[in-house]
Amino acid sequence: MSLLVDALALLAILLGLVFFAAGTAGLLRFPDASSRLHALTKADHLGLGLIVIGLLPRAEAVGGPARLIAVWVLVLVSSAAAGPLLARLARRR
Amino acid sequence: MAAGAIRFALLLLAWSGITGGADLALGALSAAAAACCSLVLSPPGALRPSAPALALLVLRFPWQALRAGMDVARLALDPRRAPTPGEITWTPRLPPGPARDAFLAYASLLPGTLPAGEAADGSVIIHALTTDPAIADAMTAEEARFARAIGADA
Repeated sequence: MSLLVDALALLAILLGLVFFAAGTAGLLRFPDASSRLHALTKADHLGLGLIVIGLLPRAEAVGGPARLIAVWVLVLVSSAAAGPLLARLARRR
Repeated sequence: MAAGAIRFALLLLAWSGITGGADLALGALSAAAAACCSLVLSPPGALRPSAPALALLVLRFPWQALRAGMDVARLALDPRRAPTPGEITWTPRLPPGPARDAFLAYASLLPGTLPAGEAADGSVIIHALTTDPAIADAMTAEEARFARAIGADA
């Protein structure tokens, strides 16, 4: 059972790293600032979410999982606020 | 006053959840400041959020995040595919104000769309990685769901 949990956790973390790499590839490959914002926000959110899922089984029983999920939610909220602002600024230039 | 106290209590609860109960004095100070800001930015009573619609929105979100991430990752990693970015204009139903801003922030997390400011005629410019006219309809459907959840559809 614990081996299965560990395997799934490892898989989720590795997949998360793939999405972070995809976000970085998008940052380098995409043609304009707003497209790069798509890459940096959406791919990285999924990557971070998968890494959080992978780390959940290892979190301390009290508060640990809540803290991990809070990290994901705070990143989502801050980039939801910053993304449209940056896209608006990029368009004005 | 009651709304402020409830917000303060929830923020302090979030603080103790994240810190594990450390530095409660600092947490109380931060929670009080945050509650004051929230009362100014979002006065109580203006919206009546609907719990079932809100739950639906939150439960759908991981699926949306998955679709959005896969979408971008495919475009970024597959050398045979390249993004064809473009802008579409879309007319929101929500009036200008905090509710519309909140929806636009939320929409930036959804697959393929990134709000990028307003056009001169008051419509919203959406930056899309793959330009597709269906995006406007999807935004309208998503906006209706969001408005129901936060109670701004009345």
